Amino acid sequence: MTDPDPGRFRFLATSIAGRSVDVAEARAGEAAHTDGQVIFVSAGGTAARQRSETLVQSALLGAGSLDPRWIKALRARPATARRYLALEGRRVLAELTERYPLAAALSLGGQPRTATARESLDLARSRAEVPEPPGWFGVIRPSRLLAPAAGPGARATDRELRLEFDPLDIPEAEDDGDQQQSGESKILKLFENPLFASQTLMDYFRKLLGGSRGTGDGAAGAEAKVRSIRQAHQVGAHARPLSTRIRFTDDGRPGSAIGVGGAFHPEWDVHNDRYRVDWCRVIDFPLAVAADISAAGVTYDAVLRRRLSRIGLGPTILRGRPDGDEIDTGALIDLFVDVRCGHTPPEHIYLDRRKLARDLGVLILLDASGSATDADSAGLAVHDHQRRAAATLAATLEELGDRVAVYAFRSHGRHSVHLPAIKTFGQRFDALGRARLNQLQPSGYTRLGAGIRGAGEILKTEAGTPHRLLVVLSDGFPYDNGYEGRYAEADVSKALEELHADGVASLCLSIGAATTTDALERVFGSTNFAGAATLTDLSPRMDALFLASLRHLAAPLPVLA
Amino acid sequence: MLTDRPSPVRSASEAPFYRAVGDEMEVFQAAAGGGLPVLLKGPTGCGKTRFVQAMAHELGRELITIAGHEDMTSADLVGRLLLKGGETVWVDGPLTRAVREGAICYLDEVVEARQDTIVVIHPLADHRRELALDRLGTTLPAAPGFQLVISYNPGYQSVLKNIKESTRQRFVAIELGFPPAEIEAHIVSHEAGIDAETAGTLVRLGNTIRGLDGSPLREVSSTRMLILAGALVAHGLSLRGAARSAIVHTLSDDPDVVRALGELADAVLPQT
Repeated sequence: MTDPDPGRFRFLATSIAGRSVDVAEARAGEAAHTDGQVIFVSAGGTAARQRSETLVQSALLGAGSLDPRWIKALRARPATARRYLALEGRRVLAELTERYPLAAALSLGGQPRTATARESLDLARSRAEVPEPPGWFGVIRPSRLLAPAAGPGARATDRELRLEFDPLDIPEAEDDGDQQQSGESKILKLFENPLFASQTLMDYFRKLLGGSRGTGDGAAGAEAKVRSIRQAHQVGAHARPLSTRIRFTDDGRPGSAIGVGGAFHPEWDVHNDRYRVDWCRVIDFPLAVAADISAAGVTYDAVLRRRLSRIGLGPTILRGRPDGDEIDTGALIDLFVDVRCGHTPPEHIYLDRRKLARDLGVLILLDASGSATDADSAGLAVHDHQRRAAATLAATLEELGDRVAVYAFRSHGRHSVHLPAIKTFGQRFDALGRARLNQLQPSGYTRLGAGIRGAGEILKTEAGTPHRLLVVLSDGFPYDNGYEGRYAEADVSKALEELHADGVASLCLSIGAATTTDALERVFGSTNFAGAATLTDLSPRMDALFLASLRHLAAPLPVLA
Repeated sequence: MLTDRPSPVRSASEAPFYRAVGDEMEVFQAAAGGGLPVLLKGPTGCGKTRFVQAMAHELGRELITIAGHEDMTSADLVGRLLLKGGETVWVDGPLTRAVREGAICYLDEVVEARQDTIVVIHPLADHRRELALDRLGTTLPAAPGFQLVISYNPGYQSVLKNIKESTRQRFVAIELGFPPAEIEAHIVSHEAGIDAETAGTLVRLGNTIRGLDGSPLREVSSTRMLILAGALVAHGLSLRGAARSAIVHTLSDDPDVVRALGELADAVLPQT
């Protein structure tokens, strides 16, 4: 019972407070307090101490003692706040003893002097003698409790909500985070020429000139700097989203949207060791561009088919087999009826359990960001390789009877992470879908963590199979506005961790990319990552790769201390 | 499954214990009067099976229970031809027997059965009220007392395991939930054989877990689970030990969740 993890009290706190409350350790030296969403218990305290602190603070929340109408009177009056806490703490604890015997054990004895929060407040403001609260009562922090309500008072009008920039006030291009990074090499640009864009040459120049991606304009995880927009930690009660028109397009085709959907996903902030709640907006929508069906060819890969046919199988019962473990009563009776009638049919009377039913659901997440346009000697860009690999994989898996979906993925900052569906789980991978996949235009950036979370959600809700696998086809490192380096890496591994916790395996294939993929390998782990020049190079060991990923999932996760 | 001897599920002397919460008994009786099929919905362990047993007893009809499983064929339900001596003999399956004798046929966890098997019950569940015996080439009209009852747990929703709309719309649905605290305490104390105070404590714990806001648990503590914990107490285990074994560790495998639930259970149970 000496485990210092205060998260263990979260159900207790949630139950007493009557709403979802988390428990965390306060900074060293700080007394226990709450901000309404999280209860901070004293750091390094014993479990019993932290438990008592949780109990008092959540009871105060549950009884409504920390409502703004009471707390406002305590702002900047620490002495009154302490007296109020002493009175209210006793009162709410006494109320709790009925339902939670634990509170009775902590109770200070004697009747509470007040019966309502108003009475406590009045008594606290009076000059009457009030005993000092015990240390484990913690403190009340009116400023933190009132913070969420400190937004602008009135509801904003639609006119005020419209985002309009005075032309004079538009930020400079360097300030605008959504622009392509400015650190791009001018010399490299000279060589980016369709007549001459050999991949080897490009890599050579990259090495020579050190032309890695620019460092962007701030630390990773920073928000874009936009002039004269104030940042608020908490939004006011009347805050409304901007009525921005969302255009779902495949690279400049407005009005191709059919479904509108969007979900917010968190992002892991490694610098602050916490989640950024509802940070990324992930929109999945059916890709509905008109496509030329003649371009719907998919390379057939016999090796891949043979390899993949062996995996993802569940047991199924075959009746009327020539051999097997049990007797099929129905078949046996039919046989005897036939024999008595004078026929001699084959004696197929056994039940056999064979692994034949497909029980694998695969979601192929294709990186459609604009990072992969260098061409190789055959004139095929990295993106073409990936697209073909996705098409071949999807067609093969569908033919084998697995549930498979294909989603492309790109991002333009954290508010628009797009997951265009080329094939959902329910659709057939028909010629139109193939054509759309073939004509997908790369653009945008790679906010991989949000893409994985969005795809994982689709896989979890729509696959409907016991085994689920997310196959990410990507060529390089996650990169987006305020999303790179260590930050991006930590977020992607966190997203994968979440996925594994939910029973979804992951596999990353890097096809056609000659640039460094160390980061992807580091994030996905060596067993869940493979890279090659073309898909055919990987086909002979695709079964091993799939199995390794699925097995990795079955292995016990390291227990976090 | 191929029994042809009628075995009464329960003799008339011991009436199954069931406490009605809402109007489910009246609805069931009305449905039974009209011979309408009934779909029981509700979380696991809230008393669906017990309700059917109690109603069968109340109506004085025999109850035939069939548990749905993945490999159930229509022959398992309807019956098949067997060889006896030199000739084939038709043996009724449980469903056919219920149709002939006018019993209540209860298909437990019907989504587990294969979709093509469930289709067999379609003609029984609409105005036709008959069962087609394709092996014999006849149809069997249902005896007056026959009633079809299926149960279904909406909690396990999965794309591949759901009741087809065409099946669903033939049924009268009765939704069962967990009973209110006093009734549940009475049930737990009666079933587990413990005193009312202990039962009340267990029910309070159960309701506290059910009331958790934003809970990560897939299923909440059911009445059946509380009865199990009560039975452990009745056989001499301490209340805390019983709650830990029958509730906390049963609900989750995640060590974090188990620990947090343990803290909650400790706070709600009386201090010793």
